[in-house]
Amino acid sequence: MDADIRWLDDPEVFRVGAVAAHSDHRFYICEEEAKTGKNSLAQSLNGVWKFHYSENAPERPADFFREGFDSAGFDEIKVPCHIEIAGYDKIYYINTMYPWEGHFYRRPAHSLGGTKEWEGMFSAASYNPVGSYLKEFDLDKGLLGKRVTVCFEGVEQAMYLWLNGHFIGYGEDSFTPITFDLTPYIKEKGNILAVEVHKRSTAAFLEDQDFFRFFGIFRNVTLYGLPKMHVEDLWAKPVLNEDGTGSFGLELKISMEKISMESISVESISVETGSPGRAEIILADKDGNCVLRRNMLLPGNVKAAEKAEGAGGTAGKENGSGAVLKDGFMEIACEMERADIGKVTPWDNHNPYLYQLYVKLYDGEDGLVETVPYQIGFCRLELKDKVIYLNGKRLILNGVNRHEWSPEQGRCIGMDEMEQDMEIFLKNNINAVRTCHYPDQIPWYDLCDKNGIYMMAESNLETHGSWQKMGAIEPSWNVPGDVPEWKEAVLDRARNNFETFKNHTSILFWSLGNESYAGENLVAMEQYFKEKEDGRLVHYEGVFNNRSYEDRISDVESRMYATPEEIREYLSENPKKPFILCEYMHDMGNSLGGLDSYMKLLDEFEMYQGGFIWDYIDQAILVTDAVSGQKVMRYGGDFDDRPADYEFSGNGIVFADRTEKPAMQEVRYYYGLYR
Amino acid sequence: MDCTDKLAVVYGDVTLGVHGKTEGKKFDYIFSYVTGGPESLVINGMEWLYRTPKPTFWRALTDNDRGCGFHLKSGMWLSADLFIRCISCQVAVDGKEIPLPIAPENNKYTGREVAEQIQITFVYETITHPATQVTVAYQVDKTGEIQVTVHYHGNKELPELPVFGMRFIMPTCADKFVYEGLSGETYPDRKAGGEKGVFEVQGLPVTPYLVPQDCGMHMDTKWVEIHRSTALDNRKKKAEPSSLRFMAKEGEFAFSCLPYTASELENATHMEELPPARRTVVCVCGAVRGVGGINSWGAEVEPAYHIDGGEDIVYSFSIS
Repeated sequence: MDADIRWLDDPEVFRVGAVAAHSDHRFYICEEEAKTGKNSLAQSLNGVWKFHYSENAPERPADFFREGFDSAGFDEIKVPCHIEIAGYDKIYYINTMYPWEGHFYRRPAHSLGGTKEWEGMFSAASYNPVGSYLKEFDLDKGLLGKRVTVCFEGVEQAMYLWLNGHFIGYGEDSFTPITFDLTPYIKEKGNILAVEVHKRSTAAFLEDQDFFRFFGIFRNVTLYGLPKMHVEDLWAKPVLNEDGTGSFGLELKISMEKISMESISVESISVETGSPGRAEIILADKDGNCVLRRNMLLPGNVKAAEKAEGAGGTAGKENGSGAVLKDGFMEIACEMERADIGKVTPWDNHNPYLYQLYVKLYDGEDGLVETVPYQIGFCRLELKDKVIYLNGKRLILNGVNRHEWSPEQGRCIGMDEMEQDMEIFLKNNINAVRTCHYPDQIPWYDLCDKNGIYMMAESNLETHGSWQKMGAIEPSWNVPGDVPEWKEAVLDRARNNFETFKNHTSILFWSLGNESYAGENLVAMEQYFKEKEDGRLVHYEGVFNNRSYEDRISDVESRMYATPEEIREYLSENPKKPFILCEYMHDMGNSLGGLDSYMKLLDEFEMYQGGFIWDYIDQAILVTDAVSGQKVMRYGGDFDDRPADYEFSGNGIVFADRTEKPAMQEVRYYYGLYR
Repeated sequence: MDCTDKLAVVYGDVTLGVHGKTEGKKFDYIFSYVTGGPESLVINGMEWLYRTPKPTFWRALTDNDRGCGFHLKSGMWLSADLFIRCISCQVAVDGKEIPLPIAPENNKYTGREVAEQIQITFVYETITHPATQVTVAYQVDKTGEIQVTVHYHGNKELPELPVFGMRFIMPTCADKFVYEGLSGETYPDRKAGGEKGVFEVQGLPVTPYLVPQDCGMHMDTKWVEIHRSTALDNRKKKAEPSSLRFMAKEGEFAFSCLPYTASELENATHMEELPPARRTVVCVCGAVRGVGGINSWGAEVEPAYHIDGGEDIVYSFSIS
């Protein structure tokens, strides 16, 4: 397949050639590496890349990916980094308005009937910048001779990928990792990876978050070498029973090179089982005591797998397990029978107790091929009599909304920032976080697991400007709404969110997104999460603005900025659902007065379960002032960016440099009181 | 000036001088009929006033103030804060009011006048519509302590106030201030998290909100001491470190201590646009509006934390 620039304009194309979304587990060649975290199967491509900036797609060097392309005229750029921060494109902050307001007239494709006006909307626009990235690399030793994939953890907003002149794939969901298989075209040395990043595509209609509007490769890029047997996906399913005992179930998807299957002689298949290998599952408590050990023999019925492929590639189910042959690999789906493990220590904010899970793959000769460590906790989320309980106790959310932010690097942050944020959370009794309004970097989820921070894991979706205009609800055109052509794109965002993060104990809520009104496509997202039956609740606030969907979307009544009186009113008049404030206490500038009026509601109503302060950190950019030479904080409108929403980007309980605002002592006090 | 156990009073033509000395403390105060208030407060040689203190009616808009259109309803208090007229003054000696001792009335006095206590009261009229009055009485006793009593006369036709207090501008920046009250920056609707104690704040920090706005308020304060070691006096390369204490008479007051006035803060869209810090601006407040927090685009501060322009505000504190 060849890349097509028109995909930018078509909401039905959002993911091409990518590996299916999967869990965020790390995998190692041996136990030693699994323990130290040093991974010889991973090769970071972060660093200096060659780069070319174009104002629009027609002007871009369209053949830059071809072998032999002369990139002498290219600049250099750091990866990861926003292209605007690197100085190529204008820094721009705007809240609800789409970022082309006043510059271009645009309506989402298919939203107003059958016109074809959307053709070329992004691909032929006079301003829609393109970043053309080139990276030359040799494979690290640990990856040699293995299947090789590349994972982009965050690319805003539409990306095309080529390797050594061959088209590999395309993706649009800016804030979830996307993996591509490079195996067919990878070489030991002199590989050239070409990435073409477009600032806007139809995804822009779905990514109208209230933040600085950036583009570029802004998160890690990593190559992985896959061992001959590899855990593609794992879904750990710990269950905490009411009596304090626990049980554990696990689903695995394992890929194996077909070539290795063919080369397996009868002798090398375990005589007793006919299996080409096994998966060993070990669960240990914090002290290293093994609480569960299971061996699953992998179904080695090659013929069954081939038959399945012939039958159209559906999984050949066999005792709950199946195998499918695809693109030279055999993928096996198998499920470990749920096992009771007796008394467990539950996970919660006060005692975020995690168990260590290991999944180890052994080949037919019983040699260890791959080790996957994962930390999981046992907790039980219930909705009883319209009240949410965690481990039998009423859940109270003393939360904040958190954007990823650095005043120097925008949304391109590292472990330092995440660790500082967690320290600030713990110090100030914050027990919950909403990943507004997109999935965060993976280590943040790990930190929340480890530190007992309840997560509302939000999908990458906000279409504020499509239904609210000049402050009024005006959904005459809106997406995703009920527009069929937009359904798969938003479902993909839900799927990416779920599949990537499903094993994180700290996630109590899946959130469909933010401020995207309501319609059949939101219902489809809701149903997607519901069908997973993973014990979590589904959250969405938007039905408040379209009540006809309230029985079909969201397990909770969620509001933003409702006054204490409005909350009292809802909870006093035969409420349908427990109440959560997904945003409250708008801490813009000198604010956060009157928090006590909200905290008192916790005493007054069991069904009031707290909320998430808006928000954690001021979004402002540190620049050198041309007049004074001082390092200063700048906000919307400070970059000749118009129309803008100016200082509305600064609503944190910490300043952009992470020093605490004076209001923090109030947060610490009340959140401590109700912890 | 001879050392007596009484106040030495200088009945000037334009000002009233009040001088004295107690253990380790020499004080020289000058109240001006022209500027409408104290023009000089010198203690042990350190001048504490840059300009005559006046009532303050404005705070630099917070984002929430702007969001709820507070300025559109109460904006006249900004001009009242900038411009105010003193319409009359009265002087009382040892508790007895005397005719205003300006020429030729003061021709009857000598260079050796003394008193146990002097009180001078200034009446201000605001430029609001309708106008209202603020009365500020300064009572000086033999120890040099000044009791200040402030009375805002409410008028039902006046809009809500963002703040009401007295603003003292000192000639140079303070090194630090020390106060007994609540930790951190507090407001009437955001003070539960403030811990009680004595706190020392180095320098004159301005909370770096993205857009400079009212900040640095300290509620429920028993006293605050401003420490300075610089002066404008050309003879002094470096002044002796000294301090001035504001103390609540009954109960507590709120104060802020910043290098800027409300209007200076109001004028800046970024921190770097604030002028270089040169003065110390102490506002000793009798009423403070809450900051609110429900949202920043229309929600009002909760009713309990408004300042009704129609109600009188009376409070007092001492300066020593």
